[in-house]
Amino acid sequence: MSLESQELEELKSKIGRVPTSTELQIVAAEWSEHCSYKSSKRHLKMLPMDGPLVITEKGYDSGVLDVGDGYVVTAHIESHNHPSAVEPYGGAATGVGGVVRDILSAGTRPIAIFDGLRFGNIEKDKQARWLFKNAVTGVADYGNCLGIPTIGGEVEFDECYENYALVDVASVGFGKRENLIKNHAKKGDVVVLMGGSTGRDGIGGSQFASDSLETEDRSAVQIPDPFIEKLIIEAIIEARNEKLIHAMKDLGGGGLSCAVSETAEALDIGIEMDVDKVHTRESDMHPDEIMVSESQERMLIVTSKTKLKKLQSICKKFRIGCSVIGSVKFDNNVHVKKGKKTFAKMSADIIANATLLDLPSKKPAYLKNISKEKKFKIINDYSKIMMKLLASPNIASKIWVYSQYDHEVGIRTVIKPGADASVLRLDNGKYLSVKIDGNPKQCYINPREGAIGCFEEACRNVVCTGAKPIGMLDHLQFGSPKDPEIFWTFLESLKGLTDFAKDFEIPCIGGKVSLYNETPAGPIKPTPLIGVLGLIDKKPLIPQKIIEGDCLVIVGDTKDELGGSEYFEYIHKFIGGACPVVNFVDSKKNMNSILDLIQQQIPKIAHDCSKGGLAVAVSELCMTNKIGCKVSLDKIPGDKLTDERILFSESHSRYLLVVDKKNIKKLENILKKNKVSFQSIGEFSGEKIQFVNDTKSIIDLRVDKAHKTWINSLGDLVLHA
Amino acid sequence: MASFNVHVTIENKPGISDPEGETILNDLVLRDIHKTVSKIKTAKMLKFTIKEKDKKTAQSKVQKICDEVRIYNPMVSKITIDVFDA
Amino acid sequence: MKVGVVVFPGSNCDRDMFHVLTDVFHLDAQYYWHDKELPKNIDAVILPGGFSYGDRLRAGVIAAHSPIIKDVQKMAEKGIPILGVCNGFQILVESGLLPGVLLKNDSLNFMCEWTDLIVENNTTPFTNQFKLNDKIPIPIANGEGKYYADDDTLKKLKKKNQIVFRYGDVVNGSSNRIAGVCNEDGNVVGMMPHPERAVESEINPIDNKPSSLIFESLLVKMGIKN
Repeated sequence: MSLESQELEELKSKIGRVPTSTELQIVAAEWSEHCSYKSSKRHLKMLPMDGPLVITEKGYDSGVLDVGDGYVVTAHIESHNHPSAVEPYGGAATGVGGVVRDILSAGTRPIAIFDGLRFGNIEKDKQARWLFKNAVTGVADYGNCLGIPTIGGEVEFDECYENYALVDVASVGFGKRENLIKNHAKKGDVVVLMGGSTGRDGIGGSQFASDSLETEDRSAVQIPDPFIEKLIIEAIIEARNEKLIHAMKDLGGGGLSCAVSETAEALDIGIEMDVDKVHTRESDMHPDEIMVSESQERMLIVTSKTKLKKLQSICKKFRIGCSVIGSVKFDNNVHVKKGKKTFAKMSADIIANATLLDLPSKKPAYLKNISKEKKFKIINDYSKIMMKLLASPNIASKIWVYSQYDHEVGIRTVIKPGADASVLRLDNGKYLSVKIDGNPKQCYINPREGAIGCFEEACRNVVCTGAKPIGMLDHLQFGSPKDPEIFWTFLESLKGLTDFAKDFEIPCIGGKVSLYNETPAGPIKPTPLIGVLGLIDKKPLIPQKIIEGDCLVIVGDTKDELGGSEYFEYIHKFIGGACPVVNFVDSKKNMNSILDLIQQQIPKIAHDCSKGGLAVAVSELCMTNKIGCKVSLDKIPGDKLTDERILFSESHSRYLLVVDKKNIKKLENILKKNKVSFQSIGEFSGEKIQFVNDTKSIIDLRVDKAHKTWINSLGDLVLHA
Repeated sequence: MASFNVHVTIENKPGISDPEGETILNDLVLRDIHKTVSKIKTAKMLKFTIKEKDKKTAQSKVQKICDEVRIYNPMVSKITIDVFDA
Repeated sequence: MKVGVVVFPGSNCDRDMFHVLTDVFHLDAQYYWHDKELPKNIDAVILPGGFSYGDRLRAGVIAAHSPIIKDVQKMAEKGIPILGVCNGFQILVESGLLPGVLLKNDSLNFMCEWTDLIVENNTTPFTNQFKLNDKIPIPIANGEGKYYADDDTLKKLKKKNQIVFRYGDVVNGSSNRIAGVCNEDGNVVGMMPHPERAVESEINPIDNKPSSLIFESLLVKMGIKN
């Protein structure tokens, strides 16, 4: 247990006595950082969470958006960082399980999974490779078995994650608004635990997530069982259709303790339960263990006595365990018994409302001079640098990862992984575009602008498919909040996201905070991960084949912003410089113009500039379409810059458009009208990726050679290094 | 030096769930009339052929290899080693 | 005319298949849970893809012991068209209705990608609208899709025209690149790739017409179409 002594005193005074050991376990679980958000909750309120499309229900773990015609989309994001650093396969797999159950508990069928994976330097570190490989297999095995397509994600490597792992999983669900579970409880209702049996898994798990990895708690390993999870999905959908569910909550961190107390508090009821009724995997489990066990694949359901029989027969059909563990009371207590003996009886309000901390913050000393650049060696051969970048783990194609994920099951995937954002078709003729993005390199050197950058990048990606951003998920991952400098970076990121969300009217519909991500080597870089959902009313922009003579147009200015770039960090091994800053006005103009153009079916392809800058973005277009392009660097709009800065700066709000010559005039008229910065910078033809400045050749690469390197590097590194 | 066959059996530690074993027991074996079967655990076996001076050294060498190269994850699994003459 | 879609605990592609049968090809289809009986007047049976029983022990082996498989075997004997897709193929093989075995892919990884199928037998209820050697762009998604049969079995398959589809390229190490086979009577077909994922142009980035012929063939066989 890890209640701090001050918290223990607080608990004693709140309940007016010394707590029993069971009560202590329950409160320690619920008051842990992972469950209570005590360090961050006070500040998370600043995020805008309302909007015309946002639907709020009590007790929900996922966010809900109205997508029209009586349909809704749900979304949630979760992380399993600590367990994955210790046992990556099980950690990643059970991460998928957890987020999928959150989607299910709103009453929607999960239709897609996304994973954000971050590890140490896989070129040098065998441990990082091992973690990466196994995490990918974990996500693949679990998602594939569930029959839910994993259609998008991110993979990044940075030395700050040495001996650690960030495994973030997001899921999206879809269903009819009328089928959303309106969490409520009636007099006489019963509380049912359904799903896998309860064992000693992960005992101490959620508390473990709030300690740093030095105090390894071995029992925090969780064994995934996607088969039973699949059965749970089908059973719950059937139970939902038969209107058998009054309230539902999935069991995640803190197990029964958190699920029962949070349900009681949200519904304003009391729950009296008997641990002897819980279907267990092991004999002689102590009530304390039963209450904090983090055995996977379990759901808590509140239903009436009359509807119970039907629910039980559905569970029998799907051969999943179903125990009536308690009943609804109208006091406000969480009352845990074993047979006749009471082991815990406390107000749900006390359990579910940990005292929120008001932690101090201080601007980190390292930020004082971080934007200063140092003098670098002059580079003569940018072609060689390009090949190095294309082979680098952060830029190389991630096909080795996503080809292990079944991304076609469900037959909704219209734009497949590998594009800017994946797109799913919905039942009402609309389309959903989703992307998650993080950038710890930028967030380290400028927490505020870096976080805004992630948000804008995710928006750019969905915009490239023709989608209008309608909601955001945020996953805020930082080191210890008890360090005022780290806490400052957390607050700055949060404020940045809030400002962008408010200005662009994109509500935050859900998210998570994961703190204490540290190893003996130190804290991770600030890693806010932003997921954006976009809606397409008519037709998505499915990338078309580039042919000889097609034009390349850039929208948006390129600035002197190499801070946090792959070029600085991978090639020059330098951390620092000017972090790219999003200009809200330009960003909005550019986004709307791209959507405008796509709606009028003018571009063949829209592709955003991000990691590796303009050089990599152009190369990606050429390699994917097996065609060359000659780009004039002197034509690139923006600041007057040296060649390397134009090529590799990772300035935001920039898009590349591939346009048929015959549509150029139309495009120019629209962009001029919108007062957007743009320029035709090249033409597609031949077999070479070329960047020239006036007549000087800066980069000259063969498309086929570049493609071979880019496609195979990551797989080769993981399998044969 | 002699040749030995060393069998390394990898299985989940007691207390760690074994969903595959449970499914095979409940959905395959017990479905028929073999109700006397009460438990099935899954395991993986690797068979090493190794040249060492004696059985004891062969066993400790293979144990070392399994620990170093991470043949099994000690968080989740345990190994049993049996040595036979080749 | 009724098509039965058999659903096992862990089946995933049943709803995809159902959508294609009913919304795209306008057939009367119905789901049958694995412990129920198949009606005697069923006109075709499809075993869809997925992870029945989590693919535990061996993909398809536990499902092959399901009560409904006895009915599927009876239908097979009656000559009713039966199609097993992916896990469905694995179940048909484990239940003895089709020859050979499906092993782990050579890459040892799950593979999700688009590939080409070549039609080798155009006399089955699912291939009668093809010409020999027609090419079908279609996705695969499996971890245990490597078809294997010993040399004697392979000889027999060739002799009796039981090889229905081959992969256009080396994909997962299948013997003779076999992607689908049929029984001796030619009414039971198993295939690893997923036709239900290829028949709609919205999600088929290449060409949805060839894979549609798989279902058109069934319509012709069932006398619904000419």
